[in-house]
Amino acid sequence: MVSVPSAGQVQQHISAIASGFLGDWLEHRGNALAVPMTVFAHGERLDLQNPRPAAPGSVLCLSIHGLMELESVWDFPAKPDEHYGTHLASTLGDTSALKLRFNTGRPIYRNGQDLAALLERLVSNWPVPVKRVVLIGHSMGGLLIRSACHYGAANDHRWVSLNPDCVYIGSPHDGSWLAVGAQKAAGWLNRVPRDYMKVVGEVIDLRSEGIRNLSRGEVFEPGTSDQPLLHGARHYVISGLLAKGERHPVNVLFGDALVHQSSARGDRREGWELAGIANFPGVDHVRLAHHPLVSQQLQEWLV
Amino acid sequence: MKGPDNNTHWWLGVAELAAHGIQHGAEKLKRVHLSIADESFRVLEAIPVTRSASRFVRVCHHSIARVSYGSVSLAGRVVAEGAASAAVEFGPG
Repeated sequence: MVSVPSAGQVQQHISAIASGFLGDWLEHRGNALAVPMTVFAHGERLDLQNPRPAAPGSVLCLSIHGLMELESVWDFPAKPDEHYGTHLASTLGDTSALKLRFNTGRPIYRNGQDLAALLERLVSNWPVPVKRVVLIGHSMGGLLIRSACHYGAANDHRWVSLNPDCVYIGSPHDGSWLAVGAQKAAGWLNRVPRDYMKVVGEVIDLRSEGIRNLSRGEVFEPGTSDQPLLHGARHYVISGLLAKGERHPVNVLFGDALVHQSSARGDRREGWELAGIANFPGVDHVRLAHHPLVSQQLQEWLV
Repeated sequence: MKGPDNNTHWWLGVAELAAHGIQHGAEKLKRVHLSIADESFRVLEAIPVTRSASRFVRVCHHSIARVSYGSVSLAGRVVAEGAASAAVEFGPG
């Protein structure tokens, strides 16, 4: 049976796409399409001052989506109540599977600062003492985790002292080829001495700060030097590839469709110590967020 | 998945974004239109026989185009500002 999305779902997806393209501008204008940062447990919005989820666990597993996505990207096809968080919760026990929704067009560092503060409030106000934090980020969501870890550590947040597990799934730590391409195309078109070409360049340049940050994997405030991965935390990297053969030309050109394997592993970053690296040829960028093989890998690493 | 908390506010947001798109889209379309037209007018101006007529047609063409695109852009601006003001009225809090 084909499921028809409800009007509410369509509206939320429109908001997510508009926020991805123009989220910083929408927020500046106070436009209702700008998606506010929200945490969900079992599909219900959590009040951060007084979170009262059904059966709160001492392990918090927060899943963070990527650019122009919603928290529904984590749901397994035809199984809307299952995602990596619920799989981990059923194996680990005493775990609350949470999902984050946020405005992906804002600069990543600002979302990172807000996420760090949100986690601090969540851990402080959680009904039972929190013993462990697991953060799972898809695409831009992984960059948000790195940013939040930096700002959480800088502000001596309690959740950072719990040495979180950070999983980066298809995250463009060294940038996405598509975002780099858009930046180069806009730059080239703006230099052409023809107004109609400049207009095309200007339209490409309308992209949000969040998208601009993806061209080089920028996660810190401008002027901040590159920071190491959070010390004490365990960091895991998962990448995907379009074709099943690892050395297939399509994989060399496009990686998982949006992110190259080397960028997902942060090959250009210095001093990264990763607790685990996994690559899944034949699994594209979006399917990385809800694939049985990835779920199995997370179980091996985190349980 | 539920829809937005305040549906009227959401639709006003859509209206503001769409009207902004029309306002700035009309401005950009005007530049594309005029600069492509200028390619033809440049050729006609290079030919002595068509030069004077081409200059006259160019002025008329550009003036009409500016007024037309400007009207659309202005309408977009009015709707965008109206939607933004109404959103403040209907917004949360």
